[in-house]
Amino acid sequence: MILRLWPGTPEARVAAITAMLETSGVRTSRSPEMNRPIIATLDKVDSELAGRIDALDEVESVVHPVGEWRRVDSSFRDGPSVVRVGGVPVGGGSVVVIAGPCSVETPEQLDDAARCAHKAGAHILRGGAFKPRTSPYAFQGLGQEGLYLLKEAGLRYGMPIISEIMDAAQLPAFLDHDVDCLQIGARNMQNFTLLKSVATARRPVLLKRGLSATIKEWLQSAEYLAAHGCDNVIFCERGIRTFEPATRNTLDLTVLPLMQQWSHLPIMVDPSHAAGIPGLIPPLSRAALAAGADGLAVEVHARPEDAKSDGGQALLPGELAGLVADARVYAAVGGRHLAQQLPRPVGRPTGG
Amino acid sequence: MQPQTRNHLAFLDRALLNLLEERARLLAEQDVSAPANLEDLLLRASGDFDPERLPAVFEAIEKGTSPSKGGSR
Repeated sequence: MILRLWPGTPEARVAAITAMLETSGVRTSRSPEMNRPIIATLDKVDSELAGRIDALDEVESVVHPVGEWRRVDSSFRDGPSVVRVGGVPVGGGSVVVIAGPCSVETPEQLDDAARCAHKAGAHILRGGAFKPRTSPYAFQGLGQEGLYLLKEAGLRYGMPIISEIMDAAQLPAFLDHDVDCLQIGARNMQNFTLLKSVATARRPVLLKRGLSATIKEWLQSAEYLAAHGCDNVIFCERGIRTFEPATRNTLDLTVLPLMQQWSHLPIMVDPSHAAGIPGLIPPLSRAALAAGADGLAVEVHARPEDAKSDGGQALLPGELAGLVADARVYAAVGGRHLAQQLPRPVGRPTGG
Repeated sequence: MQPQTRNHLAFLDRALLNLLEERARLLAEQDVSAPANLEDLLLRASGDFDPERLPAVFEAIEKGTSPSKGGSR
């Protein structure tokens, strides 16, 4: 359960209530919320103790999350969380666009994509360096060289970077190359060993939904990250596997309002992987923003026909510019706003 | 007027306000002012909103959203 105390409750009383629980063998976790003290219990509380706690004057309300999570539950904060990715705020009314190629292939290809993404108004540069592919014979990514190129491109265009980490052994490389946000891909959403390792890096994490994961399983994975030190989690819906073969996956927009009820963490949508068809990306993006998405993650490639992975679902540069313009309108109509791009550093030459 | 109609109008007005504020925010970020492309807008106008009033409306929007004229935050 989560105890929401009245704003202004003296710290001595908060400590006393925490002690009541801890001395009964119930571990607790204090929310970083500044507006009021919020305490989550991590173990089962017997009914007698729960009754005594509930009766305390300092307790405004006792919330029972619909699942086993605590730290990611909406009642653990007083409002939506804002996750900062290298200075770009995600959530809390700030809508962002992550764009870039599926894979980092060459310096020239990445520079083209980064330039397009920046010019179109995207905020964060994405690119795969360690590529998990269905076929063992397909392009597997450039590895550390890919991270180096991605960071260089991000610095050139003033864009924080995000890339998918596949294995805990890769974590030092991600930190060495100062990757601003670590992506956990759909296939690894329930790789709890990886989640625990990644959480120790204390970097923002973009947690994609597993292709057959329930919403509760997804939230549990985020709780793993939070429990091991990473509070800055961004959910990303990327489509789930259904019986429908006309699209690569089925974009589940139902999760947007539901996750925003159940969790304080921001949630983005990846329409590229959901649809697998570029023509569907703009309308799905508009639908996602209308349903409350805190941002979009899309793939862009200057020459999709030459892409070594997923070129068939990449947007052309002009299409990305239209998508970002649309995002501004749809965010504004809903009373939110497109985040401001970070300033581009002066004096960094373009080109691979 | 039906309460429902009044409600719909209130939502439309709020959406218009949000869009105007976003226009002002964008211009403030770039510290520029920009007139609307009236020629293009008149071509797109269906006529439901009196087209003769559009120039005055967008002149007011330009003034209200231009950072140099103190229209934005």
